[in-house]
Amino acid sequence: MVKDSLLQKEYELGFTYTRSTGPVVGKFLTGLKNRQIFGNRASDGRVIVPPMEYDPETFRPLNDFVQVSDAGVIESWCWVSKPRSSHPSAVPFAWAMIKLDGADISMIHHIVTNEQNRVVTGARVKALWIDQPVGFISDIRCFVLEED
Amino acid sequence: MGELAAVVGIGQTKYASRRGDVSIAGLVREAAQNALEDADLSFKDIDAVVIGKAPDMFEGIVMPEIYLTDALGANGKPMLRVHTAGSVGGSTALVAASHVQSGTFKRVLTVTFEKQSESNAMWALSTPQPFSVHLNAGAGGYFAPIIREYIRRSNAPSDIGIKVAVKDRLHGARNPLSHLNLPNISHQEVEDSMMLWDPIRFLEACPSSDGACAMIIANKDLVSESPKPPAWILGGAMRSEPTIYAGRDEVNPRAGRDCAKDVYAQAGISDPRRQFDCAEIYVPFSWYEPMWLENLGFADQGEGWRLTLDGATSLDEGGDIPWNCSGGVLSSNPIGASGMIRFAEAARQVRGDADQHQVKDARLALGHAYGGGAQFFSMWVVGANKP
Repeated sequence: MVKDSLLQKEYELGFTYTRSTGPVVGKFLTGLKNRQIFGNRASDGRVIVPPMEYDPETFRPLNDFVQVSDAGVIESWCWVSKPRSSHPSAVPFAWAMIKLDGADISMIHHIVTNEQNRVVTGARVKALWIDQPVGFISDIRCFVLEED
Repeated sequence: MGELAAVVGIGQTKYASRRGDVSIAGLVREAAQNALEDADLSFKDIDAVVIGKAPDMFEGIVMPEIYLTDALGANGKPMLRVHTAGSVGGSTALVAASHVQSGTFKRVLTVTFEKQSESNAMWALSTPQPFSVHLNAGAGGYFAPIIREYIRRSNAPSDIGIKVAVKDRLHGARNPLSHLNLPNISHQEVEDSMMLWDPIRFLEACPSSDGACAMIIANKDLVSESPKPPAWILGGAMRSEPTIYAGRDEVNPRAGRDCAKDVYAQAGISDPRRQFDCAEIYVPFSWYEPMWLENLGFADQGEGWRLTLDGATSLDEGGDIPWNCSGGVLSSNPIGASGMIRFAEAARQVRGDADQHQVKDARLALGHAYGGGAQFFSMWVVGANKP
């Protein structure tokens, strides 16, 4: 009874922030604006996409940028049959780890298709770009299955 | 204290209102790399990393230390985040030092940062709460009445704060890393600047800065592996108290007095003004110099402002106990790093490595940081002589 009489109130807290992307993440995002995908070469020779600022083994700055294809293969996936409002797709889709041609590390994005049975490890996909890219990861609207 | 430890490398970034050329990772990396070069070491020589910054809400990245491991060469090594509000730079250095003094690690990299240009620090400190009037006070609004009370108690002349503001900016003009570079600042210019929170004027307040500071702290056995003179850590202490409690003295917080007493006892200091050659003290608003002169025992109660007035704390006036030769928080304030800059600049002095703001023959120095509502304190004493 006492508990119900105690006041409580929801409130919202919000701030405006700025993000400086720096020379590596900035290079990747600027590439997207031009419908290009850049990774960089790590000390062990692997091409990392999206690029990393510092080598995970030697800790040196990674400056050797490599442009990779906007098409590649599915390494693994997770099918979402009932998308929620904050998902990137209104229709059923797959979260997927996609290894782009020329890359050695898979990148997480999502695949939209009405052929769920074709979403399998090893299937080929390609980026579907938005009409006017701005330098966000969402410049790639989604990946779609390549035709057989 | 356990094992003897010393600072063997110091690295700082240039401080500026906006470092848009680098990410947060790039910013901390710059300071860490400079510290490693100063110590003639590489990341593989480091056993553990201790990182600190002010509240996550400042940049809006929760637990940023997790994504900074690559930038700080910490993969596969212990990494610890410290957080004690504005004093965090000091307490991070002390945690790093204790990692070595405990004998657990031989050589620790410690880094602190803030990228205020990405943030909204002033209002992140003053959030509206349900059922409360939103004061929109910010840090200055909180400290202004406390300063007013100091002036009332001490009968200090009303322009002591202006004198500190000029003095620290003239010091800062000697330091190429300083955010503010105001070699021609005048008493009149400070007096004429906008009154922000009476009695604190615009030029009596610290700037908002981007920047990072790093140090390498080594066990005594490894000190000789780095080429430059070490700064021996002779004592370190932290104290805290609640923001509000019955009987609290906000002007002269007990936690600050107790912290000083502790660190002085460790380092054999009985007369700080005479024994120290210089000090780097956290003074984000000008009046905190005379207030801390008293809180830290450099002057008797009510007398701190006389040292400022007489030029005792000024390098340019040949004072006997220069405070904040680097320019202090009033010249650069990347909040999370500001305390560590104090600790690092104290170490630079006793290493004889402070260039244009060097105090001649400095052998013993105090580094100090405070945070929150002047409720968190951290201090260390560093010396040129191995104890």
